[in-house]
Amino acid sequence: MTHEFVRRRALSGAALAVVVLGIATLQPVSARAPFTAAELAEQQAALLKAVDHGRDLWHGSLKSMSTNGLACGNCHPDAAAANPQTFPKYQSDLGRVAALRDMINWCISGPLGGKTLDPDSEDMVAMEAYATYLYRGTTMTPGLATAQTSPIVVIKSGTGYPRKGSGIGYDK
Amino acid sequence: MEDEIYVPEVDPYNIGRREFVTVSGKAGLTTMIAGAIGLNIGMVKVATADPETPQVQPFTFAIISDSHLYSIPDHKFDGILADSVDKVNSIRPTPDFVIYCGDIAQNGRQDQLEKGRKILSKLTMPIHFIPGEHDWYLDLGVVWRGMFGSQHWSFDHKGVHFIGLTSILVRDFWTPAHMSPVERMTAMEMLESPIAGPWGIREEGLDFLKKDVKNLRGDQPVVIFTHGPLWDYYPRWNFQTEDAPEVRQILSKFRHVMSFHGHVHQTIFNKIGNMSSVGSLGTAWPWPYPNVKLAYPQSRMNRVDPANIEDGLGVQHIDLEKGFKGIWHGDPFDEDLLNPEMRSGLKV
Repeated sequence: MTHEFVRRRALSGAALAVVVLGIATLQPVSARAPFTAAELAEQQAALLKAVDHGRDLWHGSLKSMSTNGLACGNCHPDAAAANPQTFPKYQSDLGRVAALRDMINWCISGPLGGKTLDPDSEDMVAMEAYATYLYRGTTMTPGLATAQTSPIVVIKSGTGYPRKGSGIGYDK
Repeated sequence: MEDEIYVPEVDPYNIGRREFVTVSGKAGLTTMIAGAIGLNIGMVKVATADPETPQVQPFTFAIISDSHLYSIPDHKFDGILADSVDKVNSIRPTPDFVIYCGDIAQNGRQDQLEKGRKILSKLTMPIHFIPGEHDWYLDLGVVWRGMFGSQHWSFDHKGVHFIGLTSILVRDFWTPAHMSPVERMTAMEMLESPIAGPWGIREEGLDFLKKDVKNLRGDQPVVIFTHGPLWDYYPRWNFQTEDAPEVRQILSKFRHVMSFHGHVHQTIFNKIGNMSSVGSLGTAWPWPYPNVKLAYPQSRMNRVDPANIEDGLGVQHIDLEKGFKGIWHGDPFDEDLLNPEMRSGLKV
């Protein structure tokens, strides 16, 4: 690269930046004040409701997910060895790079002999919310898990989140 | 009921009922008989051998565990248990007997326990049972005891004292909560259920154990079976027994105690003081290893392929040798399950 070329590139870059800034300033202001404590609590409650629902599904509350009595929790207590932080990854059972929801449906149709969940359904989001919530704080490492079970985040003798009873088991 | 315990009509290995004493509801009397027979055999040998050397006549026994049978007819777990029975029958040398380490049933139902007993009746050797929580909490062990006998037992065989204890007893959480038997069972079925609290052997079992070993010598070979491990492995999943320290204290007078347990659905070894401890492969599904540091990490089995329904499953057998040496052998359906160190036999 010649000196002249570099100089011209720098100039054109600067000009582009000016143009972009100009466009940005023409847009209506979209920023807002940080969420209030009440709003954050509401959002967290909505998440925990999904986690709660996911936990029930994980333990057999939706009968169509299984024809042999098994539930996800039989093999994956506390979502152990589900390792949501490793997805997407290549799944040899599927022969392609798969998302967590793909593997959830693989388990439902295979070992559980059940009817798969619509990937866009609230139930599937709840399943993912449950598994992911138990692994919160874990480093994202897409690809094969090297350890069979990653640490889960739980409180001393509970599920890791507050909830009311469903008849299956709950934190006091 | 002793009559309910399966004993083959043909006794090819000459294990008569008199030598192979099974303990029923009349535990006290039968234990005394067992003790007397064991003592007599011992005294004959002691006269001609080093009195410090335990007089074990080498033999093999097998363990089957955690079949979790459902009521659904022709369920896949029925077939895996049947395959497990075939596997045990083909072990050489043929095991003298089998210990079932708990959780025949998934939901504690009579039909599930009966299905298990029927499949296990194809064994060509006697079998003894201890209960798991899945067998117990629908009716607090009423059907189980009617079918398999006393919840605590012991017997002597070829110089070794065998003890089985019920270790899945929890405090009453159901009465204050007005729970139905099915709700109680459901709460116990969930491994990570926070309702039930820790399991234990409790006063009755500990009293049985104290009396049972009171008159035994310190060099008596002792093997004990419980559903959960007699050490603190992962209490959140009840991979523990709350009063295991008391058990280890009662058994501390013995030179060596071998402990075998179910519940964990995986191979796992540990040693505390004079007690070595080995977890059993199940026949229903394997469980992942909890994220805790292990003293013997090499005892872990390999990662399991979820597409293979028998992967991670199997039975195991233990060769007991003179001097009370034990070699644990895993008999998984997939040979690649065990790492090389475990495949060559684990010294217990």
